[in-house]
Amino acid sequence: MARSTHTTPSGFLLPSIHSAEPFFTQQPNPTTQSKQTETWSRLILSYARHRNLFFVRVEDAETAGGEWDEILRNERIKRKVMPPHLSHILSEMVAKNQAAYEPPKQTRSVLLYWRLPEEWAEVLHQWVTSTGQLTTILTFYEITDPPVPSPLSGIPAVLLRKAIAILGKTGRAQIISIADGEGARFFAATGK
Amino acid sequence: MALARFTKPVDGTIPVPALLYDDEDVVTNQDGVGIYDGSVKSPLHQTGVLTLTSHRLFFISVPTPSDSFSLDLSHIVQTDYYAGLLRSSAKITLRLNASTDGKTDAVSGDSSEDGEWATWECEVCGNRNGPGLSPAKAAVCSLCGVPRAISSSGSTTPRALPSQAKTSLTSTSLPALTTGGAGSPGSSPDGSSDIIACPACTFHNHPSLRVCEICATPLPRPPSSNLAMRSLTASPAPSAALASGDASSMRLSFRKGGDKAFYAALKRALHGKRWQVTKTTNTRPYNTQDTVAGGVSGIMTSVQNNAQQRNTSISTALSDLEALMSQAQHMVALASELTEQIRVAEAKAKAEGRGSLSDGTEEGEAANFIQTSLAQLGLSMTNAPVTQDMMKDERKWMEELARELSGLTQQERKKTSGIMRGRGIVALDEVWGGWNRARGVALIPPSTFLQVLALLPSYTSPPLLMRTFPSGLSVLHTPRYTHVAFTSRLSSLIALSGPRTTLEVAREERVTVPLAGEMIAEVERDGEICRDEVQIEGPFGGGRDVRWWINVFEDYVWDGQQDT
Repeated sequence: MARSTHTTPSGFLLPSIHSAEPFFTQQPNPTTQSKQTETWSRLILSYARHRNLFFVRVEDAETAGGEWDEILRNERIKRKVMPPHLSHILSEMVAKNQAAYEPPKQTRSVLLYWRLPEEWAEVLHQWVTSTGQLTTILTFYEITDPPVPSPLSGIPAVLLRKAIAILGKTGRAQIISIADGEGARFFAATGK
Repeated sequence: MALARFTKPVDGTIPVPALLYDDEDVVTNQDGVGIYDGSVKSPLHQTGVLTLTSHRLFFISVPTPSDSFSLDLSHIVQTDYYAGLLRSSAKITLRLNASTDGKTDAVSGDSSEDGEWATWECEVCGNRNGPGLSPAKAAVCSLCGVPRAISSSGSTTPRALPSQAKTSLTSTSLPALTTGGAGSPGSSPDGSSDIIACPACTFHNHPSLRVCEICATPLPRPPSSNLAMRSLTASPAPSAALASGDASSMRLSFRKGGDKAFYAALKRALHGKRWQVTKTTNTRPYNTQDTVAGGVSGIMTSVQNNAQQRNTSISTALSDLEALMSQAQHMVALASELTEQIRVAEAKAKAEGRGSLSDGTEEGEAANFIQTSLAQLGLSMTNAPVTQDMMKDERKWMEELARELSGLTQQERKKTSGIMRGRGIVALDEVWGGWNRARGVALIPPSTFLQVLALLPSYTSPPLLMRTFPSGLSVLHTPRYTHVAFTSRLSSLIALSGPRTTLEVAREERVTVPLAGEMIAEVERDGEICRDEVQIEGPFGGGRDVRWWINVFEDYVWDGQQDT
């Protein structure tokens, strides 16, 4: 049973366990299952970071052709993750604060925290500082889709709002309502 | 003539027992009988089966079942027996009473058409009386014993109306009846309006009741004549005068013998007067004795009597069973005694240097015969089963039982004869059943069986252990099938030859598939193995195939993409 790592077309290095058939079956043994779920969570977060993905849905396991196919399916061993299994993994991730149901009050879709909102807040503040946009008002659009690609490109508005709210607590940002939506103004760190 | 007047046609294609009343029994029957109507042969009834019941005489014609008839025994007043001479066969002559003939025409003649096989509801207690009672019994309610009122049934059920018309018609056409029973046609319509008020509770009782239905107080006697008397006042029909000896007799000719036995039975049946006994006790219990027989209390008593009868019959049946059991114990004692004797004799023979007993001597044959008959009775055990009365105390009893069981499970001589049948693992129910089958008597209850199992390992080698799976299935097994041993064997099997399905494991271990499933499930619970389920698309909706793997997650260290 020599299993090896595998590199996907998108350049992601799959772990060797991804080519083991039992990895795609939900294990009934609680110890085995927690270990399995832990490995799956890591794989999902790692892949999301690699592809800059923010959402995963249970539907991704049901239908082929999505952006998650590379890890939710393994055509070499003819296995795929069953939707109930993925649903279980996602609920475990939410419980461990590795993800959050988005929109809330449903369990079919999650927002992945491959960076925690606190970490995103730091990244955001650093980017604003390094691009010299402190004290200027930036619209959300300018942050999520800047002309020069940034670490924040493509960040969902929900996550961005959370990050700004965290900065606001320490007085480093302020949400401002503007004519065509929302904007934010950032300040230099005070007392640091 | 006599045939036409006294007999009723019956459907000969129906077996006789199906034609009987509920309280009627078959006494005897005889085939090869011919009938004489008077002194002449009746051409339609020359070959048939004669059946005697407690109430009637049935003649079922063999060539033409449609010509069969029945004759009420109550018509017979005298019988003569003729033993037969040379070619003339034995005969029984039945002299029939013409006077009863008229009465049955009026009273039970109509009821045989719509009363005998129809249900009717008692107007006093509301009990629905079923069909199939003899005319005498059908005339009274089976629950409360109140006579069936012709007048009231006539007014409630339209079907009975013509019957009443017929009664009055016959009474006018027969002058003797009108004069003799003048009060009878008029009394029944009067009787229904002649309600008796109870002097104690003022309840309005039916005129035929002698005690109040509600409070069982004796009622004042109604002035009008009483219903039960009516049938007795019926006078002989005028045709009786015309009846000569020929017209009111018939002969049974016994062409195939059996005449003596039949005549004796007929005599007995006539003497017993079963049709009359039921009539007198049931039609007038109010005139004669017990005041409790009527009303609600009467119904209660009859229900109680029924329950008591049922209890008695049950206890009789149970005592029979107990007697049987004690007989069985005797058999077992005898069997063990015989085996013991054979053994002693064999030992003696050996000591004398004659070799085995079964060498053709008389003794040897006897011993062989005893052994085979014991085997046929299922009592061929090397020693009799241990029973509790043989033992002094509980502990010793348990130990003896354990020894007996160990002998059964591990019979060394033939690998296949023991309960284990050479298998290493066997379900508990099978052991229990097999043990009790081997004991035959003094069966072991499951609770004792479980107690014995705890002692079993010390009496068996290799020790037989008990194991209970999480599903509740309990098994006896050799050390080879302990959890630890099985786990290591399964792990090495998978490690050597790759993932295995439950079916393959079962084949490898030579156990049943569900049992293998139970054992594997326990290993999985330990986390030694993990599963790989594959959905298989099949023509019948597919299925799920589970393959067992060594736990791949156990020592797994992340070797995928490293986060930057």
